Amino acid sequence: MNRTLLLALLLSTLPALSQTSSQWVLERSTLSYHMSHPMHQVDGVSHAAKGKGTCHDGQCDFLIAAPVNSFDSGDSNRDLHMVQVTRGAQFPMVIVRTRLPEATPPSGTIFADLEVQFAGQTVHYNHVAFQKTTNGKDVTITGTVPATCTDFKIDPPSFLTIPIKNEIPVRVEATWQPM
Amino acid sequence: MQSVLIALCAAFFSLPGLCFAQDAPAAQPAESPTNQFSSSDSPDLPNAPEPVLQQTQTPATNQNQQPQQPTPPDQTKPASAPSLGDLGFTPQQTQADAQLQALLNKRTHMLKIHQELGAYTLIPMAATLITGPMAKAKGHEGQTITEPSQANLDFHAALGGVTAGMYFTTASYAIFAPKIPGNKRRGAIRWHEALAFIHGPGMIATPILGAMAFKQEQAGEKVHGLASLHGTVAWTTISAYGAAIVAVSWPIKFHL
Repeated sequence: MNRTLLLALLLSTLPALSQTSSQWVLERSTLSYHMSHPMHQVDGVSHAAKGKGTCHDGQCDFLIAAPVNSFDSGDSNRDLHMVQVTRGAQFPMVIVRTRLPEATPPSGTIFADLEVQFAGQTVHYNHVAFQKTTNGKDVTITGTVPATCTDFKIDPPSFLTIPIKNEIPVRVEATWQPM
Repeated sequence: MQSVLIALCAAFFSLPGLCFAQDAPAAQPAESPTNQFSSSDSPDLPNAPEPVLQQTQTPATNQNQQPQQPTPPDQTKPASAPSLGDLGFTPQQTQADAQLQALLNKRTHMLKIHQELGAYTLIPMAATLITGPMAKAKGHEGQTITEPSQANLDFHAALGGVTAGMYFTTASYAIFAPKIPGNKRRGAIRWHEALAFIHGPGMIATPILGAMAFKQEQAGEKVHGLASLHGTVAWTTISAYGAAIVAVSWPIKFHL
């Protein structure tokens, strides 16, 4: 009888033991890509990203996603062209995944291995530097993903027959809060 | 009795796990800002050269697309890792739309032709403007009027014809490019389109006024009335046309 009771209690505690220890939610964010052309310098900005982080066994898995069409460069014609060249109607989300240790210093430089899904391609960027700052419950991460057109098999758009630069660095500023 | 006590202890120990909502920043040890660590220390992460192109993303499907093969669950992701579905995007935001992609592709193709042909149109347009004075009678009232040669008149008229043909072909690629539903115009494109309301009518009026001026000159008359506005309208048209090209390129920041 006692053994049965003990077993039942132990079994009931198992799911709790394997549960995630903490969760994070993306409170606000600014993602901006920079496009360079001999005649133009353009920044497309999105504040529409959503993200979540779940921590388990000392590791946190983070996911951030933003609709491709949410990037605003200040010109609707250019934004539509961006969506077209990045196959943004067929692959409407840019998705970034990373895994970080749960115990990190409240501020300083952190390095993350990123998996970026964009334009129908999945690309890994290893050891990308981010600055972490903590303000109360807010944890802000800022850094730049060194993306290029060729990484995602994007035909560089051209203006007056001159193509844009291959580099399209994406600046990330994300403020997280524990759930 | 002992077993019951052990069971109760086990249950108590598991309670924090059941109601855990750890405040991670508070739990972190305070270290200097320069302290660095790397997530690459995690044994779960690949250590491939960067960037690594891994696989082709499978788009979500909707009614507009060919049915896709169901994709097996990603074995590389831990079960506890958040998924796209957890983020609260609407299906409209995450679903692939092959029809829209096709529309965007067609639109870009047509606007590329519009852009290139529009730039080439500047050549006969400028040439027409340059040859304009050669096709004009010279001399003020009271002086001897020098009529332009027939060759000059014909050359100017031919250049005007080529310009008009190329202009309207260029315009048709913009007019008939597919419109994207729900797209609100913002930025320089609005100026580009607004200027078409000047150079468009100008491109219709210029050859008509030119023909009127030609007839008057052929009749030995001094160009008068509306026909005398031919040059002014032509200059206004080319100015608006040039401004439209600059507007769509604005802001120009040279960075070589």
